[in-house]
Amino acid sequence: MNDLLLEATDISKAFGGLKALSNVNVSQRRGELLGMIGPNGSGKSTFVNVISGTLKPDSGEILLDGANIARRPQHVVARAGIARTFQAVKIFDKLTVLENVLAGALGHSSMGTKEVDEAREALARVGLTADLEQRAGALGLYDRRRLEFASRLISRPKLLMLDEPVGGLNPEEIRAMIGLIQSLREECGIFIIEHTMKVITSLADRVVVLVNGKKLVDDSPQTVLRHREVIDIYLGTGDA
Amino acid sequence: MRILVIAMVIATPLVAIFGLRNDFLVFIAGIALIHMLWASGLNLLYGFTGLIPLTYAGIAGISAYMTVHLVMRLGLSFWLALPIGSAAAALVGLLLSLPAIRLRGFYFALSGMVIQSAFTIAFVYFPAYTNGDTGIASVPRPTGFDGGAIPSPYMECVLALFVIAAVAGIGLTMRSRFGRTLITIREDEDLARALGINVTLNRTAAFIISSFIAGLGGGLYAHYIGFASPRAFDVLISLNLWLMVAMGGRGTLVGPLLGALLLAPLPYLLVQYTWVKDVIYGVAIVLVTLFLPQGIYGFVLKRKART
Repeated sequence: MNDLLLEATDISKAFGGLKALSNVNVSQRRGELLGMIGPNGSGKSTFVNVISGTLKPDSGEILLDGANIARRPQHVVARAGIARTFQAVKIFDKLTVLENVLAGALGHSSMGTKEVDEAREALARVGLTADLEQRAGALGLYDRRRLEFASRLISRPKLLMLDEPVGGLNPEEIRAMIGLIQSLREECGIFIIEHTMKVITSLADRVVVLVNGKKLVDDSPQTVLRHREVIDIYLGTGDA
Repeated sequence: MRILVIAMVIATPLVAIFGLRNDFLVFIAGIALIHMLWASGLNLLYGFTGLIPLTYAGIAGISAYMTVHLVMRLGLSFWLALPIGSAAAALVGLLLSLPAIRLRGFYFALSGMVIQSAFTIAFVYFPAYTNGDTGIASVPRPTGFDGGAIPSPYMECVLALFVIAAVAGIGLTMRSRFGRTLITIREDEDLARALGINVTLNRTAAFIISSFIAGLGGGLYAHYIGFASPRAFDVLISLNLWLMVAMGGRGTLVGPLLGALLLAPLPYLLVQYTWVKDVIYGVAIVLVTLFLPQGIYGFVLKRKART
């Protein structure tokens, strides 16, 4: 068996004349937590959109567990085992907490009567103790994030892609979120886009840096953060 | 509690039938029941799936003409012709809507208007089949066990049974996995896709079921009023049915029944003042859109939830 969970080769995606991704190669080993950083507009979210099937790449191959998922319809990619969260939390605001988690299982093969138990377990997994019958839209941001996680975890994905999971959270919540993500590592592969370096340094085994749609570096967090160009990009070149 | 409300709404026309013993009112009660059937079917798409099908009357019309044709020209029993006509309606409606089913909200509604116009033109321009604008008169009433036409009050009871079956069927559907899938698509189709839901397939299934109900109503309508014409199945009728669902309360089982009960009798009660009907419909559309976006029953539910 291949020890690569995700293998994205030569991914390119352009929006009109703008090349959002140019020949990006990213692979993720099983059990590895992969981070992705880069300045605004560097193509990070586009990368997640392409991998998760929201956008179709112009060229390139994407293998999940050895199976090609590039250019497949999004629901097929989700069923193949890629779950994702969004920069702005995406849950069904008008549905209840329980309905939201159960919705995560609807597109996958039925679990029958076990489903509600599975939903409770997913909620327990993320530590959300909100009333099951409460409207999801009434929850605070941190609870909404955790509900988003639970609704993805119920389908037991192979790879969970998190797009800025701590955006808008306070320092205490960020600490708790790092702990939560750490605890999910045993369940599935995790891919994180983050601006908050603390999240990347405390979680990621390896970091990919995207700049202007191209891969700049791909190494351990310690090495990446000492990289000359990365420092220039994040702290300025000094001659600006 | 909900079942009680549904029973009361469906029973209203039946009370009129047996309590008033006035032929004209009995007829209006029958009309209201057929519209309850249509509105419930349309609600499956508009209320539960989030699509506004302005092709609904046209789809009903296909079944109406087909059923009439099978009964009057080929001598089939109405009860055999009706499911055939309804299945044909569901199929034709589906084929014509297939390109549109991927469109969202407003664009789906707009494409429906175009397809509905094509239906109407077809009804007018294939006179060999539809007798054109003149319509087909003397359509026989559905037959009973004795082979004769089912007489009124009983025919209206049969119509009520159709409504009960449709509402029960839709209620059960919405509790199923398929129904819950439709709700998630209505709430956020992008998120539904990201969660692994095949949006197009589920919508198409809802469309087929809903169109079949449209077809049942179409066949029943033509044989109940004894007449089939293009005007009975044009875009205004589609809009009226939409209004019934919107005004009664979309996404609930009671709402469409209530809307049909309130609006369907109007054209018959105001038959000498047709323009009044149009004004009432127009004002109703504005009022519902502005003040009751969830419809009458939706408003009641909201008030109840607050107390």
